[in-house]
Amino acid sequence: MEFGFNEAQNEVRELSRKMLTELVTAENLSRFDEYSEERFDRDLWAQLATAGLLGVAIDEKWGGMGFGFTELALLLEEAGRTIAPAPLLSCLVSSALPLQEFGSQALCERLLPGVASGELILTAALMEPGNENPAAPSTRAEPTGDADYRLFGSVTCVPFATQADYVLVAAQTTGGVIVCLVGKESDACICSPLRVSTYEPQYRMDMDGVFVPADRILAGPSEGARVMQWIAQRTIAATCAHQTGVVDQSMRMTASYTSERQQFGVPVATFQAVGHRAANCFIDVECLRLTTYQAVSLLSSDSEASIEVAIAKIWAGDVGHRVSYASQHMHGGMGIDRDYPLWRYCLWARQNELMLGSSSSMLAELGERIAAGEAFCA
Amino acid sequence: MKVEFTKPQLALRTELREYFDQLMTPELRQECAAAVGEGGGPLWREALRRLGRDGWIGLGWPVEQGGRGLTPIEQFIFVEEIMRAGYPFPFLTTESVGPQLAEHGNEWQRDELVPRILAGDLLVSIGYSEPGAGTDLAALKTTATREGDEWVINGQKMWTSLAHFCDYTWLAVRTDPNAAKKHKGISIFLVPNSDPGWSATPVHTLGGVRTNATYYDNIRLSEKHLVGELNQGWKLITGQLNRERLSLVNVGPTSQLFNEVTRWAQQSTCDRDGTTLIEQPWVRMNLAKVRTGLEALKLLCYKQAWAMTEGSLDMADASAAKVYGSEYFIEAYRLLGEVIGQASTINSLSAKDSVLNGRIESLFRTASIITFGGGTNEIQRDIIAAAGLWMPRAAR
Ligand SMILES: Cc1cc2nc3c(=O)[nH]c(=O)nc-3n(C[C@H](O)[C@H](O)[C@H](O)COP(=O)(O)OP(=O)(O)OC[C@H]3O[C@@H](n4cnc5c(N)ncnc54)[C@H](O)[C@@H]3O)c2cc1C
Repeated sequence: MEFGFNEAQNEVRELSRKMLTELVTAENLSRFDEYSEERFDRDLWAQLATAGLLGVAIDEKWGGMGFGFTELALLLEEAGRTIAPAPLLSCLVSSALPLQEFGSQALCERLLPGVASGELILTAALMEPGNENPAAPSTRAEPTGDADYRLFGSVTCVPFATQADYVLVAAQTTGGVIVCLVGKESDACICSPLRVSTYEPQYRMDMDGVFVPADRILAGPSEGARVMQWIAQRTIAATCAHQTGVVDQSMRMTASYTSERQQFGVPVATFQAVGHRAANCFIDVECLRLTTYQAVSLLSSDSEASIEVAIAKIWAGDVGHRVSYASQHMHGGMGIDRDYPLWRYCLWARQNELMLGSSSSMLAELGERIAAGEAFCA
Repeated sequence: MKVEFTKPQLALRTELREYFDQLMTPELRQECAAAVGEGGGPLWREALRRLGRDGWIGLGWPVEQGGRGLTPIEQFIFVEEIMRAGYPFPFLTTESVGPQLAEHGNEWQRDELVPRILAGDLLVSIGYSEPGAGTDLAALKTTATREGDEWVINGQKMWTSLAHFCDYTWLAVRTDPNAAKKHKGISIFLVPNSDPGWSATPVHTLGGVRTNATYYDNIRLSEKHLVGELNQGWKLITGQLNRERLSLVNVGPTSQLFNEVTRWAQQSTCDRDGTTLIEQPWVRMNLAKVRTGLEALKLLCYKQAWAMTEGSLDMADASAAKVYGSEYFIEAYRLLGEVIGQASTINSLSAKDSVLNGRIESLFRTASIITFGGGTNEIQRDIIAAAGLWMPRAAR
């Protein structure tokens, strides 16, 4: 039982915190408000690549640092702390990781060095209209030629779909789910931009016979569903890490603000009602952090972690909601003033809360596991 | 970072479970149940001595203090398992007073009292609270005054739990009435409960738990009964309370309870349509909420045990675990009680009709103690805001 970080973890954490807090400023972020610019800071991306951070969990033989999922999750936590405008989650977690784990040698060789160097961007489609289960898509894949496929169906809320070179998509065949990388060279794939709370570039993709060559299949029908669960678990855990950064920063911003802001001749932080609500946030954030670290740690050693991941996500949803509103409230009007940085954090807390399973839906899932006798306390 | 038990830690847990299965005979269980989870009976005492003989009490203590040299994490696993087994473990003595004496005690305390604590042979009650000093503990009025070579103790304490069967009271007294700040004039003495000037009257509480009012009437003590330095008692008090807090929110019993209620719901048919209770969506939801909250508490505790191993126990974290745990327990008992329904109000005395031996009926009545006991949650939240978030506090 070890809650401390090793040297590599400390280094990744410190380096990413330093770079992100320096490069992601409030002025910088304001450029992307209301979609006035595409919310993707490509300079930042290039600098993260130069520092090696994009390859933090990519094998050294593909140009990465060769660390594991824990280090990657720590990078995501820092990205949450700064709400960095970059596709770290969708590219590094939801698609590069499974590519490295399940892709062919040739495909890894072709794509991963580009991801590590920042020149190639991947993303993943984990949601369909009306279907939040990434392992049970209704998108269809029809075999064509020797071992190629054509995809038919729609996915939605795909982050950075038009910015990415390839989109990881799951599709149903008669024999099971396959997982593949869809290129966007084809007319048969139409991306339509969505407008969402965070201003993150997200798209609906309508696929009408998009061609996928055999060499871009990551998982065949017998293992695709399991691979999608593998991806979902890691994406959820990394989202929890991102949420940890988001709420930790909101809470600390609130602690500083209330310590400075005076009413009735004293800092408002000295009112016990204020201090205690902040203390509740502290407890909440700690619960989220620890359940997240546990999930991340188990996934890093490829241990079974579905219960622990679900529990972390329940905390991510609840804590995101509570800390977001507590922070707004304790700031008074300043909390929602667009010239003060807090409001953007609230938007991200909300996106993370609802992504890949809300607290209630996760509780229901956990309840099923408990009923089946699969979630007793050890 | 590796948030998992090591293989030896898992093996220890298994060993302890087997050991406690044997230790907890039906007779011992019955005796403990009669004492509302407090212990103090002859079989309970015998079991405690056996724990001492078998080297368990000081499992995580340093070898030079008479322990087995494992870390606070192993010590925590031990306490978790013994509490899960349902043995009322005197953790105030073993987990908080004992280590404080080993660290800050004089020769007599270290060489004579500490070994007896580790042998399961000596029990200490805590005498802080007074009729007029609760949360504002530094307002305490019990005094120790020097007369020649001796200290003379006079005063009254309130809520001195377990004192009616303990050997000593770890007593907070005022030794300097003129100190500039009231918490600077406080010292700790070990007072023998066998002294003729010592007496106790019972105080009965909602949960059936007995505590005591204790009286100190011209008790004369030699210098060796003073713990640590004169007028430096406040640090010992906060140090003791920090350690106590971790034991208060141990997850062992609640993990066990969750598992048992889950099994019970899997087997019980539902009044509505003859299906099992566990098929009801709201039952699953209640259980899932309990399970989710429990996981966080478990990790808060393990993190502290780990931090103690590293020598870096953080004040805000200790307070966070105490506040969260004490309030979580209340919510968990409610959610689990709902699953059992009205039957969860049937006392264990109605053995045939009570569910899970009436455990929830009794837990409901004792749950509030630790939201204010062990340092009230309001003060803990003050500490979290100040020490964890650097927020200024109101002057008091
Ligand atoms: C079963 C039981 C066992 C106990 N065992 C022991 C024991 O072994 N040894 C021992 O010394 N004591 C023991 N206690 C006493 C316990 O520690 C006290 O009850 C506790 O310190 C609270 O003090 P009080 O009861 O006087 O409440 P009060 O201090 O009168 O508090 C009443 C309420 O006011 C709130 N309050 C007080 N001050 C503040 C503040 N500054 N800001 C906000 N809110 C505040 C409190 O949180 C509480 O809700 C025990 C009590 C019980 C019931």
